Amino acid sequence: MTQTLQTPAVRARRGRLGGHPVALMLPAAALTAGLTAIPIISTIVRTIADGGSGLARLFAIPNFWQVMLNTVIWTIVSVLGAVIIGYIGALLLQAKALRLTGLWRSLIMIPWIIPGVVGATVWRWSLSSDYGILNQWLLDLGVIPEPVQWLSNPDVVLYAVAVVQVWVTAPFAVLMVSAALAGIPTERYEAARLDGASAPKILWYIVVPSIRATTGIVVLTLAIWALNSFTIIWVMTSGGPAGSSTILPILLYQAFQNGDQSLTAAVAVLQLAICVLFALVYVRTMTDLEEQS
Amino acid sequence: MNRATRTFLAVGAWALLAVMMVWTLAPIAVMVFTSFKERNDIFAIPATLLPKTWTLENYASVFTSSSMPQALLNSVVVGALVAAATLVFCFSAGYALARFRFRSSRPLAIFILLGQIVPLTVLLLPLYQLVSSLRLLDSTIGIALTHLVITVPLVTWMIRNQIAAIPIELEEAAQIDGGSRFDAVSYVTLPIAAPGLAAAGMFAFLQSWHEYLFASVLTTSSSSRTAPVALTEFATEYSVDWGATMAASVIITVPIVIVFIVLQRYFVGGLTGGAIKG
Repeated sequence: MTQTLQTPAVRARRGRLGGHPVALMLPAAALTAGLTAIPIISTIVRTIADGGSGLARLFAIPNFWQVMLNTVIWTIVSVLGAVIIGYIGALLLQAKALRLTGLWRSLIMIPWIIPGVVGATVWRWSLSSDYGILNQWLLDLGVIPEPVQWLSNPDVVLYAVAVVQVWVTAPFAVLMVSAALAGIPTERYEAARLDGASAPKILWYIVVPSIRATTGIVVLTLAIWALNSFTIIWVMTSGGPAGSSTILPILLYQAFQNGDQSLTAAVAVLQLAICVLFALVYVRTMTDLEEQS
Repeated sequence: MNRATRTFLAVGAWALLAVMMVWTLAPIAVMVFTSFKERNDIFAIPATLLPKTWTLENYASVFTSSSMPQALLNSVVVGALVAAATLVFCFSAGYALARFRFRSSRPLAIFILLGQIVPLTVLLLPLYQLVSSLRLLDSTIGIALTHLVITVPLVTWMIRNQIAAIPIELEEAAQIDGGSRFDAVSYVTLPIAAPGLAAAGMFAFLQSWHEYLFASVLTTSSSSRTAPVALTEFATEYSVDWGATMAASVIITVPIVIVFIVLQRYFVGGLTGGAIKG
């Protein structure tokens, strides 16, 4: 760490020639202030200034609690699915029996790197009840007796769009868990094996504890993404049918489209409150990690 | 482990990999094959994956009778603006974070990074009003401005990590030889960091290429509409031209996949580095 072992000469030279580091950060910080901080503050001020009538109208929307429940279900299903697939994918890519792991890893990344609009559009077509390939395959395999109305059955649609969110975000979980697994020293596995530990025991006592911190970060990141996700649901269902796949960001967009500024700001403040909660946990986890490493 | 268990595990691993690949790639295959189907083939029952007869008519109609070519051009312009502006802002900030220890560095870094978790929909109304008051509605510059919200936090972090990986002694050597710090950065640090910076710029470009939310409300005509927005235009109120939609999807996706495969080493390092390191 050169920075901690600065000689006085180096420090003096820096002071003379380097300018002040804050000046270097000023453009990016000013940009963040102008495009993120001030808009957030203005949104909060707007909500307070109208005497809470926007918030009152938000809570009075007939299906408000339905939207909140949808948001929770959508987030839990999306995160759980992506984490499970992330773990399986990452452990699988560690398997010694596999060849060409670099190729498979690249292919697994594809859903994450293609534009969200494209992913949502393709899934919307694949899930079409009459012409969609998924229903056809499931019928051929005898899994379902008749075509499922994936996107028009109010009881199914939320889970159907959550599957697409899982498809898009699972590669991120694979990537992160892979990186964490690669960081486990091989000596630990060898020591455990010398002590006669079985594969499931190694998984539970060596692997899981070693990647617990990464898991925390992955879960938080995925949850934040799911809570803020807009494109997939909007392109696939626009929140329908009859609001059964509407989550908070969709509600906000609809209010925006209707030109209802005070309701838009009210939903934004609610989303912010949830976001702040997650941000606090996030920063906490990051700090813990720093202290550990 | 005896031979039988080992074979069993190998077969299991390959089988699981096959399932994983089907899950990952089946929608991509549907997209590609549907784009080559004829119109009546697309709505055939039972649905098949492969086209009965292969045709390029969907691609022809995307290029000749849709706003997609203009939209692709708009997306390239917006992406290039975003990449250039992001690199200027983030190199400066990333350099400061990597090379200096100063009292406000941590608060400033957290301030910039927190932009990453702010829900974009929260910023929708204020940014729309900002762009509108700057008279930049329905312009590529207006869209590019909002896309900086997405790119600046992460790219600052990517560049910080890249610069931190370059030994500071190299810069100090240049300074001892009589160069200014600015010379040292221009002639030593920048060339070494160039591949990583190119990847960071590409990352910013990709983020902009993907973005739908802001682009969908800031554009009103085909003169500034970006490719993701134009893609949704194939769906009218009454029908969706699925053949053209899938052809356009392939056209939007292919360049991205190629770029990613070429640069994935940098992306993967930059992203996991930014997410794990404090």
